[in-house]
Order: sequence, then C-alpha cells, then structure tokens
Amino acid sequence: MFFRLNSTNGQPLYLQLMQQIRHAAETGALQDGDQLPGIRTLAERLVVSPNTVAKAYSELEHEGLLELRHGSGAFLIISRRSRALTNRVQVARKKVEGLVEELRESGLLNEEIRRLFETALVLPA
Amino acid sequence: MLWYKAWLETRPRYVISLVGLVFLSSLLVFSKERQVDPRMVGGDYNLVLIEAHMALATLWVLAVTLLMMGGLVREHAAGSSSFTLALPVSRRRLMAARIGVGVMQGITLAVIPWCAMAAVASIFGRTFSIPQILFHILVLLSGGSAFFAMALLVSSLVEGEYTSPVVSFGIVFAVLIELGDAKLARFSPLIFMFGLDEHRDKRTHLLLGPIPWLQVAIWVSLALLLMWTAVKVIERRDF
Amino acid sequence: MSHAPVIQVHELKKSFGRVDAVCGLNMSVAPNRITAFLGLNGAGKSTTIKMLLGMIAPSSGEGTVLGRRLGDPAESVDMRKYVAYVSEQQHLYDYMTVEQMIRFTKSFHPGWHGEIEQKLLRTYELPLNRKVGALSKGMRRKLALLLAFARKPELLILDEPSDSLDPIGIEQLLESMVAQCSEGTSIFFSSHQIAEVERVADDVCVIHKGRLVMNGSLDDLRQSYRQIDLVFNAVPDEVEFRLPGVERISTQGHQMRIFASGNSEAVVERARAFYASSIDVAPIGLREIFLERVKEN
Repeated sequence: MFFRLNSTNGQPLYLQLMQQIRHAAETGALQDGDQLPGIRTLAERLVVSPNTVAKAYSELEHEGLLELRHGSGAFLIISRRSRALTNRVQVARKKVEGLVEELRESGLLNEEIRRLFETALVLPA
Repeated sequence: MLWYKAWLETRPRYVISLVGLVFLSSLLVFSKERQVDPRMVGGDYNLVLIEAHMALATLWVLAVTLLMMGGLVREHAAGSSSFTLALPVSRRRLMAARIGVGVMQGITLAVIPWCAMAAVASIFGRTFSIPQILFHILVLLSGGSAFFAMALLVSSLVEGEYTSPVVSFGIVFAVLIELGDAKLARFSPLIFMFGLDEHRDKRTHLLLGPIPWLQVAIWVSLALLLMWTAVKVIERRDF
Repeated sequence: MSHAPVIQVHELKKSFGRVDAVCGLNMSVAPNRITAFLGLNGAGKSTTIKMLLGMIAPSSGEGTVLGRRLGDPAESVDMRKYVAYVSEQQHLYDYMTVEQMIRFTKSFHPGWHGEIEQKLLRTYELPLNRKVGALSKGMRRKLALLLAFARKPELLILDEPSDSLDPIGIEQLLESMVAQCSEGTSIFFSSHQIAEVERVADDVCVIHKGRLVMNGSLDDLRQSYRQIDLVFNAVPDEVEFRLPGVERISTQGHQMRIFASGNSEAVVERARAFYASSIDVAPIGLREIFLERVKEN
C-alpha cells in the first residue's frame, strides 16, 4: 500500500490517511476483503503516531468502509452502504474535476482554486 | 553494578597509586637497609621501617585525595550526571558505592605496601612483628579516614572537574603546615598517622600498647561526620 | 491500560536566586500518546523535565509522574524504574565500552528487552568494544537511545532527541518512537525541530517564560487555526474583527490579514458583512502557530 502523508500542509494526518484509503478503495487498489496493514506496521512505515492510524481506521470503521477484527487487523468492506458512498464520491469527483477544469480555463491558478475551495468549506452549511 | 562503576572510574588512579606506593616504600626500605650498619641493633634499626611508614602515610593521603575526586558533582561538570541521576537508585546508594569502593581501596593501599616493606626488610633478616605492623596500619587508617572524608566532602561541594582536587590538596597541605608545629601536633591527623612519639618506646621506637582507641574513635567519628555531611549535601543539591 | 495522566503538574515553580525559570506551570500529559514539549531556549523546558525526574527540587507546587509524587525521594526512585530519560547532553561514561554500558544499564532493569537491544545494535551499527569516549556524538546519542528503548519503559522522556543525528539517524529515531508508542509507551519529548513534531506528535504543549501557553492535540490545532486574508475597497476598523478566536490582525492598504485560533466562520461572516471583495482561508502550519504564541505581545 502506497500512502503519503504531508505533515506541513495544515491538514490533520488522520484525515489525509482516511482520504487515501477511500481513494484506494475507489480505484480498486484495495478490494473487498483486502487486509490493511496493522496499526503498528503502518505507523512505522509512514513514521506517524500509531494514534493517527488508529483514529483513521476507527473513523473508517464508523463509516462502514473498514471492519476491525480484534486480533486479526483491519479489513476493507465494500458494503452496499460504502459502495453507495463510493459512488457518490465518484460522482462528486467528476463534478469537482469538471469545475476545476473550468476555473483553470478561465485563468485561475491551482493555488487560487485551492484557496477558494478552502474558504467555501469554512462557510457555515 | 554501582560499585563496578565506581571501581572503573577510579581504576587507573588506583593502579598508579598502588604501584607507586609499593615501589616507593619498598625502595625506601631497601635503600635504607643498605645504609644501615649491620652491627646496629634494636631501636635505631627500627627507625628504618618507621621512617618508611611515615613516607607511606604521607603518600597514602595524597593518593586517597586523588582517588576521592569524582562523584556526582564532577559528573555534572563532565556531562554524565543526568544519566546517573536517572537511574532508579537513591543518591544515598550512589554515595555508598563510592565510599565503599574508596574504603576498600584505602585499606589495600595501606596493607599491600606494608606487606611489601616487610618483605623487603625480611630479605635483610629484619622483621617487624605482626602486631606492630597492624598497629601502624591502624593508626594510618584511622587518622587517614579524616583525610578520606574531607576529600569526599570537598568533591561534593566544589564544582569543576579539576578545582575539587586542587582544593583538597590545598587543605591537605594546610593541615601539614599549620599543624606540623609541635604544640598543635596533637590535632594533626597526619601526625597521628605517623604514630605519635608519646606512644613510642624511647629505645626501640616501637609503638607501645595500649592501643589509643579513644583517639582512633575521635578521628573515625570526625570522618563519619564529614561523610554524613557530604551525603546530605548531595541529597539536597540541584543538578 | 491506565487512563490516568502520565505527567501532571500543578502550579510548579522553580527559582534560581532571583531568576524564575518556571513560574506556575500547570500541565497534564495523556498516556499512550506522543506529546511534544515546545518552547524557546530558556523557556523552562529542561528545568521542568529535571524537576519531573527528581534532579531538581521544585521551589513550590506539586505534581506526579506515573502517579508518584514529585519531591518525594523514595517515590522518585520508584518512578525511575518505569521512566526512561535521554537528556540533551547525554554524555554517558567515557571510560566504559558500549558493551559495559549496556550491561551496566541492564542490571537496573529486570524488564530489559534483549531483542530490542540486538535489533538496535544492528540498526545503529554500534561497536561493542569501543569506549564511549571514543564514539562520535551521533553514536553516543544512538547508544543513549538504545539504552532507553530496550527497557520498553512506561514513559519515555526525551530532551532534544534528534540533536546530533544525521537524517538517517532521525528517521530511525522517529521510527523507534512510533514503535515504542505502538507497544504502549507514552512519549514526552522536547524539540526544536518543528518538522519532526508535525510528523509524529499527537499532542503539543508549549511553554513560554515558565508557563504553559498552549496545550492541545495537533489535530485540533490543525483544524482550528486559520489564516484569513481579506481585501476590501474600504478597509473597516480592525476593532470590527476582534472576535473570539482572533489572535492577531494586521492591515496594509486594502488588505487585512487575520490570524485566528478558531471561529474562522464568524470572521468570514463578518468579512462578508463588510463587503470584502476577496476572502481567502488557509490552514496554518505548527511553526507559525508556535511562533505566534511565543512572540513578544
């Protein structure tokens, strides 16, 4: 499993890990039933606190994407619910990609686009 | 393994001191023996061993002062005190190890050279009775304990890797000079270590009984007081 | 596993003559986490750590480490059976060889893990028969770390652990820290290397002029601190933006830059109320958060 966490961009590491695991599930790098590395193994490999990995796994378990079997490790479940979630994410991704393409064509730079999204996310729902 | 550590720390100094003391005291006996008229009998002859004893006592004080350099304050100057103090042992135990090793070294630094001196003397057919030898060692060690404890206290008070032995040696010399005067001789631990003249037979120069237990007790008590003070100083210090 | 804080201090003070090194420190460090202890030079980090370990007696205040009280010599000795410490200087004993140092340290800790010792001897490439005095600074540091890690202590206190290590050494250090934490060790480390802290720390405590000025999880800090850049045709008074959570406001021409530790939504709303022509919200890295906290106010 190839993950890459950026510790200086201000985004919590566990969120980044969650995103990357979800991404792996969407692209098929991780398939239904696949086992993810143990918390300690992954923490050592990425050189991050095991609490970061534990939190990411735990949150994903809440979302239904992972199943944590005590003693055996973390397993990916492409359940119906998570499949639906994955589909929604895929649809949303296409929208975002389309929008980003538009914004680029209108002359905006990546950094500017990123800032706009950040700001929009901060706004109350 | 605290005793092992204290031993390793002082080993080079100890070995040099032991070799030095054995060599010098044996040499002194040997050369004086050669000078002595073989027809001389009794008293004047014993002076050889007694003079050697006095030299040994003086060198012993210097050696022990050198050996007691060390401890936590010196480690603090050298940088390893934070490791030692992080060990799960009390400061008292650390001191006990240093004192224990120092006491054993002090005793052997008196006994072994004396054995060497006696061996050299016996080559020439001269012997000192065992009680006499033990008497001399006893006064050496009991008077010497005060110097030992003083050096321990100084090493616990004075900062700086090399300042501490300088201060200790300074005190030793002060004692030698100030209390060398005949009137104050009674108060000098070094003179006591030599074996006071008042305890010696005028003719044979040998030490006469009874053993001056009271004075032995006084010097040893003084030493214990200084050692206790040193332990308290270390216990209260911030490192 | 226990949930009691591994370190807890209350109004801890230490004065050296007229200098107050630590002036009323209140701090609580959670178990099974990696906590970073940040502060400028002279802020009181080393003094605090030494008080925790019983090397310095507090002037006043109280605290516990693994439940044992500070200032009680017997409890302190007991505590040190379960707490390993690697200091900034870490000189160790020049006259002992690497092998003797290991044997010496091992003798105090019945729970020594030989397999960790062997693994680290290989990883760090430490020569068993060389005297410590003949080792390079980096090798000495690695030996000191080995002696702490092989104990698998309940709590590991590290003072500038990456000092004198090259980049490979630093990677090895962080991996070992993470591995120890995975096995249940709580880690409390002081560091100047913000980049390393950002990689492995769960929680951050910032000490400034002898007092705690920030204490929280790194995730929380990352999620709440924001830098908000605003552009106005007519710049409003800064007073309008002194909302809760706003730490610093600077205005230049048409621009206003706001540094907020939280509540950025309210700031953005206010900006819109004043018809800001541009609103930019960006996250802030730990370095800037730290510097902001410790700059002269």
